[in-house]
Amino acid sequence: MRHHASAGHAGGVIAMRGLIRFLIFVGVALMLIPLLMTAYMSLFADGVVTYPPSGYTLSWYTRLAEFPKFAQSLGTSLRVAAMATLCSLLIGVPASIALVRYSFPGRGALNVLLLSPLTVPGVVIGLGLYVLMVDVEIRTELPLTGSDWVLVLAHLLITTPWVVRLCVANLVQLDRSIEEAAANLGASPIRVLFSVTLPMMRQGIVAAALFAFIVSFENIEMTLFLISPGMITFPISVLQYLEYRFDPLVASVVVVQTAVIAALLLAIDRYVKLSKVV
Amino acid sequence: MTARRPEGLTASLLIGPATLIVMLSLVLPLAVLARYSLNQYDRKTFMVEAFSPENYLRFFTDPFYTGVLWTTFSIAITTTVLCLILGFPIAYKLARSQSRWKSIGVLLIILPLFIGSTVRALGWMGVLGRGGIVDAAYGALGGEGISLLYTSFAVGLGILSINLPYMILTLQSVIEGIDARLEEAADSLGADAPRRFWHVVLPLALPGIATGGILVFILAMNAYATPFLLGGARFQMMAPMLYREFAVNNNWPFAAAIAFILMLTTLSLTAISGLVIQRRYKAA
Repeated sequence: MRHHASAGHAGGVIAMRGLIRFLIFVGVALMLIPLLMTAYMSLFADGVVTYPPSGYTLSWYTRLAEFPKFAQSLGTSLRVAAMATLCSLLIGVPASIALVRYSFPGRGALNVLLLSPLTVPGVVIGLGLYVLMVDVEIRTELPLTGSDWVLVLAHLLITTPWVVRLCVANLVQLDRSIEEAAANLGASPIRVLFSVTLPMMRQGIVAAALFAFIVSFENIEMTLFLISPGMITFPISVLQYLEYRFDPLVASVVVVQTAVIAALLLAIDRYVKLSKVV
Repeated sequence: MTARRPEGLTASLLIGPATLIVMLSLVLPLAVLARYSLNQYDRKTFMVEAFSPENYLRFFTDPFYTGVLWTTFSIAITTTVLCLILGFPIAYKLARSQSRWKSIGVLLIILPLFIGSTVRALGWMGVLGRGGIVDAAYGALGGEGISLLYTSFAVGLGILSINLPYMILTLQSVIEGIDARLEEAADSLGADAPRRFWHVVLPLALPGIATGGILVFILAMNAYATPFLLGGARFQMMAPMLYREFAVNNNWPFAAAIAFILMLTTLSLTAISGLVIQRRYKAA
């Protein structure tokens, strides 16, 4: 460090540091306050959320089982997110290998096309898929409304771009000469793929799966148009509940969800360092 | 030439399924939607086949709808700028941190991403609403009851707190790619902290700022749950308005037109900003 500044300049530097600390504090507070507040509200004893509460209780957590709607929608969400994640890995990982390791005409255009669902607003995709679904239903009389597969197909559209984006970023960093060495030593292209390329991509694939799961699980904008009675995803059931009631029960529901997800993340973090892959 | 052919075949087998899915579930619905947006609405049969720009004209001639578009745009641009200002210091600290708390810090940033916008909107409802903490604190100071809920401030705050982690993660990965020795070099050549920031870190982080900014801007333009819960019935943004036209008014042609206006506005704005930043980046 060099100190060749005047006293006034040093004062400016201190003010600057203070400002940066302040900005960091505000940023962290903005991210944490809603989560802490939700956890805090779930302990309120009263049926309505008013501060200060008349007392604190854990009883909301024991009453969760009385609301099977949340559990049911959580099941739907987990099922759809798991299927969408798996399918998007199956189509997205090969696509990213093709984009990085092969040269063919139209590669740039395909790259843009595969990432394009990220730039289209979710409500637009949702409405478009819904009108298409109704159109197909009228023409073919297939019972599409309320089927898992419509939701999975829709979610595939938003999970695949994340898989492609993260796997491409991962593949670009990997040393190609290892794959070439394996090929030179006589390994067939398939063997190179399964014994060299895919194992090397492990971190990228885990990150991709994680992100695919998140965007599917928490999607509201697109899913909103595709749900039907009995086929409601978890975030939408919370949204519908909040439209009429705002009480500690719904807070305790989302606290449980948060705790489960945090535990899952910590488990994954032991296997692959999240701070390195995301 | 013949040696190239099998490679092209393998590549198309690898990339084919993903392309097919995107074509089938993005391009096709958008084409159907474009056609619907030219249809007309009818009270009894809901939709009449037509070929008229009526829905688009209705949107752009009614000050209510253009006002909603403007509100959405101003909320999106304000939150994007604030995300950059608040996100950069955190991203920089995380990227340059060597401590073992770093991975915990990153986890704390990732965790809110998993939790979804409804949960955070719920937290803000408890802070800002009537009977919330701000109301109680204000009352304790002798003021009358206030509710900041159902204002543009509440919506902006909600969107900001949701989008901030996306911005931080994008910036952090870009800053980590900037060789720390460049900053040390600038330092030993006598550049002070603000100069290092403006002339070394910022130009090199520009691609990340562009990516993060565009991502966060799109998320804000697209926001549904936050304006729905924190903005209430009177505060209108594009996504909830589109949903209401579709679900409550059953006016699919007009909803389709709103969808295209929202999409084209978002796409053209992101394309323009992308071009501007790219040009600056090349110049720098």
